[in-house]
Amino acid sequence: MNLAFGDVRYHRLKFFSSTLGVALLIMVVVTIGGIIRGVILDSSTLIESTGADLWVVQTNGAHPEVGTFGPFVEISRLPESIYHAIAAIPGVADASPIVTAWEHVPQMPRPTWLMKFMYINALLNTRTMVKPRWMAMPHAQRFEVVGYELGKIGGPPVIVAGRGIEASHYEIVADVKTGFHVGQRVRLGNFDYTVVGLTRNMVGFTADPVIYMSLRDAQHFLFQTDPNLLRSERAVARQQAADLAATSPRLVPALTAHDEARLANTLYVNAIAVKLRPDANAAAVAAHIHSWEHLAVYTAAQEVNLQLMGSNRLILFQLSLFRDILVLIAGIVIGIIIYTFTLDKVHEIAILKLLGARGGVVYRMILQEALFMGIVGTLVGSALELLSEPYFPRRVVATSGDIVQMLILMSVVAAGASILAVHRAVRVDPRSVLSTG
Amino acid sequence: MSMTQQSGNAVLSAESEAGAFAIRAERLVKVYGAGLTRVEALKGIDLVVRPGDFFAIMGPSGSGKTTLLTILGLVTEPTAGGLEVGGREIYGGRMPDLARIRREETGFIFQAPNLIPFLTAKENVLLPLSLAGVRGKRAQDRVAELLTYLEVAERAELYPNQLSGGEQQRVAIARALANTPRIILADEPTASLDTDRALAVMRLLRRISRENGTAVLVVTHDHRLIGEVDQVIEMEDGRIVLKESKGGGDAAQQANPGGSDS
Ligand SMILES: Nc1ncnc2c1ncn2[C@@H]1O[C@H](COP(=O)(O)OP(=O)(O)O)[C@@H](O)[C@H]1O
Ligand SMILES: [Mg+2]
Repeated sequence: MNLAFGDVRYHRLKFFSSTLGVALLIMVVVTIGGIIRGVILDSSTLIESTGADLWVVQTNGAHPEVGTFGPFVEISRLPESIYHAIAAIPGVADASPIVTAWEHVPQMPRPTWLMKFMYINALLNTRTMVKPRWMAMPHAQRFEVVGYELGKIGGPPVIVAGRGIEASHYEIVADVKTGFHVGQRVRLGNFDYTVVGLTRNMVGFTADPVIYMSLRDAQHFLFQTDPNLLRSERAVARQQAADLAATSPRLVPALTAHDEARLANTLYVNAIAVKLRPDANAAAVAAHIHSWEHLAVYTAAQEVNLQLMGSNRLILFQLSLFRDILVLIAGIVIGIIIYTFTLDKVHEIAILKLLGARGGVVYRMILQEALFMGIVGTLVGSALELLSEPYFPRRVVATSGDIVQMLILMSVVAAGASILAVHRAVRVDPRSVLSTG
Repeated sequence: MSMTQQSGNAVLSAESEAGAFAIRAERLVKVYGAGLTRVEALKGIDLVVRPGDFFAIMGPSGSGKTTLLTILGLVTEPTAGGLEVGGREIYGGRMPDLARIRREETGFIFQAPNLIPFLTAKENVLLPLSLAGVRGKRAQDRVAELLTYLEVAERAELYPNQLSGGEQQRVAIARALANTPRIILADEPTASLDTDRALAVMRLLRRISRENGTAVLVVTHDHRLIGEVDQVIEMEDGRIVLKESKGGGDAAQQANPGGSDS
């Protein structure tokens, strides 16, 4: 006969409501862990998914010995042609030009009821913190454009619908989070693009979904001067040419050619992703690129570090601290619950002792109840977390490892709390049953 | 005197060798507290209880009845004096496993039934068996037998709060009997019952004592109930002031202020 089982069965409402409370606490703890992992994944997947070993970026203008934090968290601009030179360096298997920038389309997918709810909820939460229009629902969808040379690294790692980019113009692959569908035509800049495929889990470190396109398209889209601006620039150039014609007519063609080249040139890239041969020495290749090409080189790990520690550091620190606090609170709450459950049983414990129950019988009952609450609470809380993950606006990813860790942690907390409770149980005097006067 | 013990074959029986003592107490003294709060609750109690004896302990409140019962039940350690339970010297030399003796030799019945509220009637009776390591069919059979004996078999699956006061008290008695104790110690078991029910409980205890050879000590205030007992022990201010034999039992004996008759 199991006393803990009997107690739980009889006081099931009390036990299950307390366990549910514990479960919700655990759910929040596991969720915070999942949010932390989400931030880490958001900061790293774009880089990890290319499979590049090295990232070549522009050096810092003021300090040429160090690089810019490009291409994702800082502007980095290189002439496109340089990738041929890098590809020729011994040890380099592939050098792939990458263009990337944030862009937006002035259209939003229809918000789901959940999005609407979260928006209204955010409005209510921030009503004393924001001025009018600060929290207006955006009418534009932001995303990160990544342009890559077809057939080289840097493209979408998986296609979940449709196909990859095959034509070198006007085809895009979008992350499912954009809300685009295969076959949809999307106007970006001055051109219409067709969504030929969808990919998944590809977001920038700001959690904006990625749109892949060919390098040429991306260069046109991102670097081409706006036609209206171009028109006025050309007018200025024509005026300059006319002025020059008055004094040095022989120089006019050269100036005109220079201006045209300047206005039309889009042959830039933001970074070059380098894949090394298996036997290559990464440090030697990096040193070579740095000294001969005057470019900055980061390993993939350093590149992730720029995003994680450069951009998302503080949110990560804050969430980690917050998680510690929640674990502490969960521990204290479970401890208090178990202790008060024990206080509720002082009389029964006295009866048990009077009936000749060894201490172990009482301690086992308390420990089993505590473990029941800790373990069932953790399992239920983790299940709730896993079920709710897809509904979070940002990526939340808890793993079985997280849950096992919580199980161990909560078992320890439960055992610790029952030690306190047992401490109380030891002091229960069996004579208290008899003292009726 | 040799006090060999022998476990009874009858399920409800706690037979002992004729003439052996269930309890023998000598000059028991109990002092609570010290200094200003010092209370001498027992001032030298001599008492012999044989198997099958059915004694009532009476006396005013504060006279030491409960204290005596808890000492005999090995819940409280006496300040001085000797105690044998079931032939075992308790506080003489090496201390025996008191919890175990309590489990196996004594059954407690209280004024309140003191059932475990989260266990069914059946499980409450099973509890002492379970604590003593009796499992399986043997334990189940024993519980069924006891519940039938106490006429609460059809209430077996109910929780204490679903039972009437009298039913609860009978389940509590069944629990006290579970391990076929040699001694039943009952502290005002009838105080919360009306006279008819109280009488019924006393007759039940009488019957248990007679049929099973169990020594029963009942603390009661009610003189109407003592018709059933073998002997009334009157206490006052920590002393036994009178041992009065009644016609209630077959083992009636003379008051013996000296206590020891061995
Ligand atoms: N745990 C205790 N601590 C101090 N004094 C006690 C304790 N238990 C009983 N007493 C005192 O011992 C005396 C006898 O009490 P008790 O045995 O309960 O008497 P009865 O059961 O006859 O009413 C009383 O004066 C009581 O106050
Ligand atoms: Mg009393």
